[in-house]
Amino acid sequence: MGDKTALITGITGQDGAYLAELLLNKGYSVHGIKRRASLFNSQRVDHLYEDPHMPGVRFRMHYGDMTDATNLIRIVQETQPDEIYNLAAQSHVQVSFETAEYTANADALGALRLLEAIRILGLEKKTRFYQASTSEMFGLVQEVPQRETTPFYPRSPYAAAKVYAYWICVNYREAYGLHVSNGILFNHESPLRGETFVTRKITRAAARIALGLQSDLYLGNLDSLRDWGHARDFCRAMHLMLQQDEPDDYVIATGEQHSVREFVSRSFAEIGIALAFQGAGLDEIGVIADLDPQLLARARNDEGTGGAEHADVESLSPGQALVRVDPRYFRPTEVTTLLGDATKARQKLGWSPAVPFGELVHEMVWSDVDEARQDMVVKAGGFRVRESRE
Amino acid sequence: MVRAESVTRSSKTALITGITGQDGGYLAALLLEKDYTVHGMIRPTADIGGSRIETLMHAYPGRVDLHAADLTDTSSLAALMDKSEPDEVYHLAGQSHIQVSFDLPEYTGETTALGTLRLLEVIRRRHKPVRFYQAATSEIFGEPEEVPQTEHTPFHPVNPYAAAKLYAFSLAGVYRRAYGLHASNGILFNHESPFRGPNFVTRKIARAAAEAGAGSTEGVALGNLEARRDWGFAGDYVEGMYLIVQADEADDYVIATGESHSVREFCERAFARVGLDYRDHVHQDPAFFRPVDITETRGDATKARQRLGWTPRVTFDQLVDMMVDAEIERIGHHGR
Repeated sequence: MGDKTALITGITGQDGAYLAELLLNKGYSVHGIKRRASLFNSQRVDHLYEDPHMPGVRFRMHYGDMTDATNLIRIVQETQPDEIYNLAAQSHVQVSFETAEYTANADALGALRLLEAIRILGLEKKTRFYQASTSEMFGLVQEVPQRETTPFYPRSPYAAAKVYAYWICVNYREAYGLHVSNGILFNHESPLRGETFVTRKITRAAARIALGLQSDLYLGNLDSLRDWGHARDFCRAMHLMLQQDEPDDYVIATGEQHSVREFVSRSFAEIGIALAFQGAGLDEIGVIADLDPQLLARARNDEGTGGAEHADVESLSPGQALVRVDPRYFRPTEVTTLLGDATKARQKLGWSPAVPFGELVHEMVWSDVDEARQDMVVKAGGFRVRESRE
Repeated sequence: MVRAESVTRSSKTALITGITGQDGGYLAALLLEKDYTVHGMIRPTADIGGSRIETLMHAYPGRVDLHAADLTDTSSLAALMDKSEPDEVYHLAGQSHIQVSFDLPEYTGETTALGTLRLLEVIRRRHKPVRFYQAATSEIFGEPEEVPQTEHTPFHPVNPYAAAKLYAFSLAGVYRRAYGLHASNGILFNHESPFRGPNFVTRKIARAAAEAGAGSTEGVALGNLEARRDWGFAGDYVEGMYLIVQADEADDYVIATGESHSVREFCERAFARVGLDYRDHVHQDPAFFRPVDITETRGDATKARQRLGWTPRVTFDQLVDMMVDAEIERIGHHGR
């Protein structure tokens, strides 16, 4: 399989980075599509980058956009991929309420444009197609757990667009015999998750609060239940789907459910802060119940950053509120519970997730501790720390 | 239980997108009878000369107003809302031909899916509450998982048109729940009339029968004759639309006759109307077979009957006869 070529849209995203790494390790040539911006936005794949002037380069980036059909046709024509992984999307649910049209254009019609590119270029027999479908399509869930046969009930412009893309993929498979598969992926996280997504927002806040770079954390619905897996595991499933003789649709999930509140508790526990939640609804707060000085010290890694920069940390004390609810983060229509059943993927693809929930939280928190420590060094050097705001 | 025609006269304003289409004409006539002021959206390039909407404009002077706008142009939709100030929007416009949607899938998505989104976005930002009717379709059931189909039957669209329509259906629901908009879906099964577009199968058959009755030996090529459809009369169905919008709570309704007939049966009845045997004039042509076709659609409109008091009046036989008679008359008027 060493000679295969893959084209990944959404290469600069979390999944794009893990998938590119996986495919490069398997000997693929990998082409990625990224949007042109005045700033570089390729941090997640920079380590895979090879100098295009060197011979035998197996990783290339192309400027492109899911809203531009002619551009997509040209890239598919130039790269002649054996496999296309369509991961590009405006994937933030909350944002989709504000940029509903762009979301539909990129997520819904974007998938269609790529499928049409395959047909227009006569690559129906050669090119296999993976569509990044999502558990958000289940929305107001019609059964628990959700499987491939569960009816969709989208609750956001993002989910409605993804349902369109799902069906147009099924349609192109049935109508034209294309090898098109949908992976209905439940939430999948990692240290590469975008900073505005709730998991990353939490682990980042835990790390930065431990180091005194941040004072508190505001969240939306703490009761939301999600099935969270590791992105690296889930990208393995994408690849497996395209290696099957027959294209099909698969739910990819861990089958385990946790609340946002639990994700918060586990994250803060990682760095030695035991939280207790008090009150309810908008007034619910997460306060420090107990501190583990050893873990906190490990997070602060005093010998590593000089030790003197932690003045703020001393203010951490039991009873102090660190987590609050901000209705700004409530969605107009909330998806309250998601739980997937990946039996089909286990049986037909032999896929199962390797990283358990606790390990996922652990990896994310300590990766963010690393980043926070870098910020401490920057700060200690008298430079300003980059602050991202929603 | 209020039948459409017994509702008291109002002085409401309605905006109809797709007013030049079959349903737009019937709906405009119905609303004008009810004393509505009717605004219609037409494409900038539309020519309404000789159309039914032109006839209505003469019949109801000063009560019909047409505006050029396009579903792919958000600012034109915002201007359209400013000019018409509607109480009710009936969104009927869209690229609605299934075979065409395979050839123009992106355009179909742009108009039918994103066009609905653009319209909803404009409506939700208005200060005055506007009721919204979305013309959903039985095509979203695709190869249906149960027969007959109700509001609870899972969707399985099998063509780009249906995928786009399902997006629009879902989005109307999202806007209802997220923003409290009075947005309803009418899941209409096939509905026909003498004003059906000439490239739709029922109209093709009716015209072929009328022409054969007048001596033509040309015959007609059709797709799958065994496909079964739930065919109703468009005039009945626009009453369903109206009643859906008048309901206190926005909701989704199946509008159907509950009967299905094959294309073959339609041919049989149509050619019998002119005293001929369809088998001498109709042949199947694989060129008209769709890449993926649906074998049977049949709807269960119990919810609409119970909550809206809606029932269809025109039977299948009456519908076929009406369509063939209209074609015979057209031939009489214009020659062949």
